[in-house]
Amino acid sequence: MVNRIKSAFFDIRVLFLGLALVALFFFCVLPFFTLFERVLFPEGQFTLSLFEETFSSPAITIAIKNTLLVSSLVTITCMFIAVPLAWLLTRTDFPAARKFRSLLCLPFAIPPYIGAIAWIYLANPTTGLLPHLVGGDLFNIYSFTGLVFVEASFLYTFILLTTLSSLDRMDSSFEEAARLSGASPLRVFRDISLPLMRPSLISGGLLVFLATAASFGVPALIGGPARIYLMTTQIYTLQKMGSVSGILKAGALSSLLMVTALLTIFLSQFISRKAKFQTVSGKTSRPSVIELGKWKPLAVIGVLTFGFIVFVLPISGILISSLSKVQGDVGLSNFGFGNWYRVLFEVDETGRALFNSFILSAGAATLAVIVGYLVSYVQTKTRLPGGHLFDVIASLPYATPGTVVALALIMTFSGQLFGVLPSLYNTLGLILIAYFVKYLSFAVKTSADGFRQVDDVLAEASRVSGASWLQTMIRIWLPLLKPSLVAAWFLVFMPAMSELTMTTLLTGPGLETIGTLIFQLQEYADASGGGASVLALIVIIIVIAINYVVKRVSNGKYGL
Amino acid sequence: MSYIQFQKVSKVFPGEVYAVKDLNLSIERGEFVSFLGPSGCGKTTSLRMLAGLEKNTHGTILIDGVNMSQAESHLFVPPEKRKVGMVFQSYAVWPHMNVFENVAYPLRIAKKPKDEIQQRVNSILEIVELNGLEARMPGQLSGGQQQRVALARGLVMEPRVLLLDEPLSNLDAQLRGKMRKDIRAIQQNLKLTVVYVTHDQIEANTMSDRVVIMRGGKVLQVGTPDQIRNNPADSFVAEFVKQ
Repeated sequence: MVNRIKSAFFDIRVLFLGLALVALFFFCVLPFFTLFERVLFPEGQFTLSLFEETFSSPAITIAIKNTLLVSSLVTITCMFIAVPLAWLLTRTDFPAARKFRSLLCLPFAIPPYIGAIAWIYLANPTTGLLPHLVGGDLFNIYSFTGLVFVEASFLYTFILLTTLSSLDRMDSSFEEAARLSGASPLRVFRDISLPLMRPSLISGGLLVFLATAASFGVPALIGGPARIYLMTTQIYTLQKMGSVSGILKAGALSSLLMVTALLTIFLSQFISRKAKFQTVSGKTSRPSVIELGKWKPLAVIGVLTFGFIVFVLPISGILISSLSKVQGDVGLSNFGFGNWYRVLFEVDETGRALFNSFILSAGAATLAVIVGYLVSYVQTKTRLPGGHLFDVIASLPYATPGTVVALALIMTFSGQLFGVLPSLYNTLGLILIAYFVKYLSFAVKTSADGFRQVDDVLAEASRVSGASWLQTMIRIWLPLLKPSLVAAWFLVFMPAMSELTMTTLLTGPGLETIGTLIFQLQEYADASGGGASVLALIVIIIVIAINYVVKRVSNGKYGL
Repeated sequence: MSYIQFQKVSKVFPGEVYAVKDLNLSIERGEFVSFLGPSGCGKTTSLRMLAGLEKNTHGTILIDGVNMSQAESHLFVPPEKRKVGMVFQSYAVWPHMNVFENVAYPLRIAKKPKDEIQQRVNSILEIVELNGLEARMPGQLSGGQQQRVALARGLVMEPRVLLLDEPLSNLDAQLRGKMRKDIRAIQQNLKLTVVYVTHDQIEANTMSDRVVIMRGGKVLQVGTPDQIRNNPADSFVAEFVKQ
């Protein structure tokens, strides 16, 4: 009786879970409301004048057209790359297919702006290494083609991952039945496999479209010098003008980008749910392997060439660049550790950037795991109405382009909030919130997976043994979910460590991160020095190392 | 010479793991032969080697006097060239094609003229009692109906042999009884050669001319259902067919 009265007034459970839910709404939903409020009610009154003004500017309509064009071209290119690759790696006797799978999916974890730096070193028209080696104008990276090429060389992994998983899960007897009907392997692929994987292919394609439209680093580094502006780079320019009208125009463009992004996500979910045939059977036999026979050498050469272009070439380019005294020179006397020494010990910002990135990423990862743990508990283990929508809410900022998230956060958290909280503009706090908000959904999804795998009776046994709810959360659930939570922590930490898009908008003096410092060194501070390559190589090493850790702690469930 | 021959056929996986070991078996034209045994005994692997979906690592497989696979000389006829019909345990009815297109597919691959396709599909659908459902999508069919689509698709190209891999295991008991009779009747009317894989000895005994009992990749006994029941080769066979 006493217990019941007590729990009606104050339940520690309500406190913890309530705080987590408040954090979820406060950080993941409120900023976007603020953004829309600011652009639709610029002076307290509803008006579309801001939109009319923004979209009547030729520079902005060109940016919109460019965004659509680049995103479409990248999507098509990625499909043509990923679909044959997925087929080769799942259906044929391609040698060492498993190793190639991990390797070819790895660019998924590396931020594309790293690739932009590599390709600028390799193929810029004045000092590029390839024009130097091959002679003549091989290919100018500062072009439309260059932009599409660099984006596609990373984003093909989105489609590769979705189509690989679709082909892995497909009941192999669909294809075997077609073989026995007399169809050749290629015919089987065209008539059976391709139609059955169409939903995954379309949703993978939409993700690539969205990722291209949302990307900032590559368009800034490559599109800038080529005078090709996309929506994200226009938002950046408008925001950096610093005027109120610039920010409002950036907001108008952002809300368009956000609506496009959310519609794309919605469409992709709709397609994959609606058109999903029952293609997965309980019994999964190994699909019979198609022997490549005389085509094998050609297939191997093709895949190796592709791997060389998207992987070996840019990474070795960055390595050579980081060791070159003069960019583009390949004489032996040109090499040394001068850049490394300069960047690591002479550039003042380096230490600060590494420190900031580490603290911010670790902080955001920790916060995300705590909130994600609690929110996913509510989602999976309570019957709170609407609870199943929490992971959708948590993934809202992830689905929204980083530029838009950053702008929404600036609008929400600069100036006094509720008249009491201090402005967070130009502080590490705002960057921390940005990382936390953007990658929270990784933590929610991963720990929700963890909760679903554990039977409730384990917790009930603990309660029956006399443990309180909080004790059960800490002593039963936490240890049981440890692998998921550790994986979640690294899944947030990894992208935050090299984040560029949001940070460039939120950064200020003293607030450098690895991403912004690379951008700064590449764009103006050290453009001819190869300093950016030193940091880019460090990022690649960190990403590969963390990916390895994630794969180990999750027994191969997460990571590439 | 027998119609289908397995001559010292083995399937070895790396590490000397035998899925099937030294299979010797002859099947006559028009015969209904069942492979019977517990799961993992090698019966499905044997069937899949006959279809060409798995490659035997040793020995020779012949259909109608034609060498389909001879491991030692690296001769291998791919499944699409074997003219073998197959019904899968999961039916494998393509969800993106309607009933007619599912059944017509082998004829389209063979580039048969349109009116011939129309006529042959219609007559086969009549045999499996699916006429009238041509335009249905597989998602709108019951398990039993999907099974019949799969059967029609296997029959439509007039295969040299029809292979059935546990085709009734996903149906309820009542439907299973009817399908057993129907499959046997179709086989006898069309004078088909059928190789049937099952772990259910009632299925094997009621439908087959001969039963092949397997265990651990090896054949324990071959004979008519009566012979095996009256004269089991060893205690395992006796125990297995007694149930």
